[in-house]
Amino acid sequence: MAETVGDEFKRDRAAARPFSLKNRFIGIARVSPTLASGVIIILAFGFMAVFAHWLMPHDPVSAYPERVLKPPSAEHWFGTDGNGMDVFSRVIYGAKFGFGIAIPAVILAVAIGVPVGLVAGYRGGLLDEVLMRFFDGLRVFPSIILALAVVAATGQSLLNVVLVLGFLDSPVFARVVRSEVLSLRSSVFVESAKAAGNPTWRILFIHLLPNAIQGATAQAAVRAAWAVRISATLAFLGVGIQAPTPEWGAMIRQGAEFMVTGQWWVGIFPGIALIFLVFGLNLFGDGLQDLMDPRRRAVN
Amino acid sequence: MTAPVLTVEKLVKRFPAGRSGLFVNAVNSVDLSIAPGETLGMVGESGSGKSTIGRAILRLTEPTEGKITFDGRDITRIPDREIRPLRRDMQMVFQDPWSALNPRMRIGDLIAETMKLHLDLSKTERENRTVRLAERVHLRPEYLRRYSSDLSGGQLQRVCIARAIATNPKLIVLDEPTSSLDLSVRAEILDLLAEIREQSRAAMLFISHDLGTVRLISDRIVVLYLGAVVETAPGEALFADPAHPYSQSLLSAHLPADPEAKLSRHLLVGEIPSPINLPSGCTFHTRCPVAIGACRNEVPGAERIGDAEHYANCLRIAEGGNRIKPTEAA
Amino acid sequence: MSLLEVENLRTHFISRDIDNQIRVAEALNDVSFTLEAGKVLGFVGETGAGKSLTAQSICGLLRPPAKVICGRVTFDGHDLTAMPADDLNALRGAEIAMVVQNPRTSLDPLTRIVDQLVRIHQAHAGGPLAASRTRAMEMMEAVGIPDPKNRANAWPHELSGGMAQRVLIAMALMNNPKLLIADEPTTGLDVTVQAQILDLLKHLTERFGMAMIIITHDLGIVAHYSDEIAVMFAGTIVEAGPVSEVFEAPGHPYTRSLIAATPERLKVGGGAKLGGQPPDLYNLPSGCALRTRCVFASDVCATPPPRTRVGPDHDVNCHFAGDLPS
Ligand SMILES: Nc1ncnc2c1ncn2[C@@H]1O[C@H](COP(=O)(O)OP(=O)(O)O)[C@@H](O)[C@H]1O
Ligand SMILES: Nc1ncnc2c1ncn2[C@@H]1O[C@H](COP(=O)(O)OP(=O)(O)O)[C@@H](O)[C@H]1O
Ligand SMILES: [Mg+2]
Ligand SMILES: [Mg+2]
Repeated sequence: MAETVGDEFKRDRAAARPFSLKNRFIGIARVSPTLASGVIIILAFGFMAVFAHWLMPHDPVSAYPERVLKPPSAEHWFGTDGNGMDVFSRVIYGAKFGFGIAIPAVILAVAIGVPVGLVAGYRGGLLDEVLMRFFDGLRVFPSIILALAVVAATGQSLLNVVLVLGFLDSPVFARVVRSEVLSLRSSVFVESAKAAGNPTWRILFIHLLPNAIQGATAQAAVRAAWAVRISATLAFLGVGIQAPTPEWGAMIRQGAEFMVTGQWWVGIFPGIALIFLVFGLNLFGDGLQDLMDPRRRAVN
Repeated sequence: MTAPVLTVEKLVKRFPAGRSGLFVNAVNSVDLSIAPGETLGMVGESGSGKSTIGRAILRLTEPTEGKITFDGRDITRIPDREIRPLRRDMQMVFQDPWSALNPRMRIGDLIAETMKLHLDLSKTERENRTVRLAERVHLRPEYLRRYSSDLSGGQLQRVCIARAIATNPKLIVLDEPTSSLDLSVRAEILDLLAEIREQSRAAMLFISHDLGTVRLISDRIVVLYLGAVVETAPGEALFADPAHPYSQSLLSAHLPADPEAKLSRHLLVGEIPSPINLPSGCTFHTRCPVAIGACRNEVPGAERIGDAEHYANCLRIAEGGNRIKPTEAA
Repeated sequence: MSLLEVENLRTHFISRDIDNQIRVAEALNDVSFTLEAGKVLGFVGETGAGKSLTAQSICGLLRPPAKVICGRVTFDGHDLTAMPADDLNALRGAEIAMVVQNPRTSLDPLTRIVDQLVRIHQAHAGGPLAASRTRAMEMMEAVGIPDPKNRANAWPHELSGGMAQRVLIAMALMNNPKLLIADEPTTGLDVTVQAQILDLLKHLTERFGMAMIIITHDLGIVAHYSDEIAVMFAGTIVEAGPVSEVFEAPGHPYTRSLIAATPERLKVGGGAKLGGQPPDLYNLPSGCALRTRCVFASDVCATPPPRTRVGPDHDVNCHFAGDLPS
């Protein structure tokens, strides 16, 4: 049939250009420097977290009583803290906590929020109203206070911090998915799926979910940044993870005491690391939408 | 005569219009029937209720009043659970193929979906059938692994048609299947539909706002105005001798692609009234060039014209005053 | 001298993809045509053929990544391609006016229609406000808006599609343009309304002596409302000439297939049709872009087809122009 001709050109083009990671990265960087910076920062911290054991010059939790509060030096690049532990090694190790909390917390938030948003958006009516009011309630409450209260009440473990953050963050995903579903549910392909005889669960999970999830992926990075920030804040307030665990928030808390006496390095370096990771995740989340903008691709 | 696949009696559909307590009278007491293997064309301007009728027939929207009998069974009020298995026998093709397909599913899975839902087939059997269906709609098998964004509008409409015929349905509702396609692609799709009609003998309800297209494929045509049938006729009879003044003006507004063709215009005054506030009597009287006083009050019934299956709902047919005098166009 | 002369207009989309490769979509390739004052030229072709892009290129309405690579547009003696942006803006809306497809989205939803008409008159012609208002009323009357006194204060959302299109036409006429470009002015409107709008446009061109370019994919519109026709395919005009000539003796295989596909001529099930996919603008075949779909194509079609005159003012871009089997 006529549809067959003309195709050879398309295939030629696809075959002519093998995939190159380098070109892909340069391509992304030109379209969205924001996204590329985010990727670099996240990768750098990811590398630190995965290869912490090779990168750390010292054990992050071995105390050297004779080296307490030494300023940065060739031996201890970022100095030592109040227990005589190497701040540089602790900052590197801290990346493990950053990701270790943020990733499971976001996964949990997605696992709760996305199905709720799907059902609420598709069904509408009372169910939607109730679910969304409940989630709104969660959202208007200052999350840090809620997190503090819940972690304090349920016991101070890493697992509890993850569970609380994941739960508190789920409304964000429910909202994003719900609003996508609201606009998709009257779209023709959903009606076409219904006309074909799809049961509701297939419409929800096979047809709506894959199309509604895109907004949530950009959110995931932004919410991971939030989780990193809140978990550090909790630790800073002395809830959840406790010193001497090499977690950035806990380190900043310890460092704050020494700030007044002039030992700035104890708190500043974990603080910088925290800012960078949060910043990087946010850049990544914001940059994703640049890729959609054709005007950014123009060549003069 | 064989029993019709579908009969629609006194179908009414009203949508609530905002919070005002008013209603959009989308469909107003429509009767129709389709025989097995027959293609019924349905024309009317946008907003005349074509899509709503199509969707109500397939129970994609709940009828407000009336009765729909499909394959001998009253399906007007049966619950969703019982409708779903019936969808094997009644399928739909939509206007805009770009938006009618899930963009995240592969073409092959889209075609196989109706079989997966309704037929008890092994995976390999289903795959074989998918390939055969692709051949039937003249789609190259390598497209089965692609996504809808890789295909042109014409190819996508082929996919939609393949989906619709996969379970050998008894009725296919085609809601403007060619309206958003380019001329030459439209021609190919019409060819394909004619071919399928020959092979499968499925009954079709072919909805379009374009008389020219409907004429090419329909055995019988119904003309809608403001949610009501104004004329029903065998295809050629409607074009040769449109009886209802609305059908006459609709035909005369058509622009043949031939500069030499003389246009005889009987253009209507004004625009379609709002379906929220339907005119009384014959709803067409506000724009009708041959309306008389009685048209304001009396709802016209179907008048038989000639000896063919040709009916029109106009009070003036009896006395022969239904013809609009043609005026030469500019 | 003609009112509008377009010579070898070439507009490409040049962009960089996510793999840092520069990609060029050759959307318009050597578009040339002329339009005499007071005449109506119809542009036809399938979706994506470049009809709207031609209009946008002429009016300087392109947005990145679209770019005019070369070519000349001469309007009423001015070279538009060389004109500073401000001058071009002044010209557009005054001497050249445009009516686009979606009337509703082209109206400012927060301004009453009379104020929109006045605004466009003030922006170009200036003068006292009262004069602009009078003109607005005249134009609303001219485009057949019933009861213009009352309708003048309507908001855009209160108008039906047909009325909104009339308002847009009135806006286009406010400054007495020499050229009106109507890009699918009736697509999406009902046939009875379409007939009213087209009759109106035709009548207005005669009354005001305007030239008009009417862009459409409906051959019926071109057949009855324009003097000349230009058939576009893949960013080139493949055939151009007087309407009656072209419909009588189409010289290009593409034009023939278009005419054969109209409902009047179409025979369902009637054998081979020139269908298929529109060509990939990023990868146009060499020579004639139609050759992968054309039943007459041979090796020679890989070279650019010459422009051949087959009748009075009737040009065809095809190697076999004039000697195709009927
Ligand atoms: N879901 C809906 N809610 C409210 N009004 C509707 C809805 N669907 C259709 N309508 C109205 O019903 C009328 C008929 O619409 P439709 O059946 O889509 O007409 P057509 O397909 O002939 O263009 C229109 O006035 C339309 O506005
Ligand atoms: N940003 C873009 N990048 C690449 N190609 C584009 C872009 N925007 C439009 N095009 C292409 O330009 C061509 C011309 O479009 P247009 O003039 O709108 O067609 P028509 O009006 O004839 O339907 C189309 O084939 C379209 O795919
Ligand atoms: Mg419709
Ligand atoms: Mg266009």
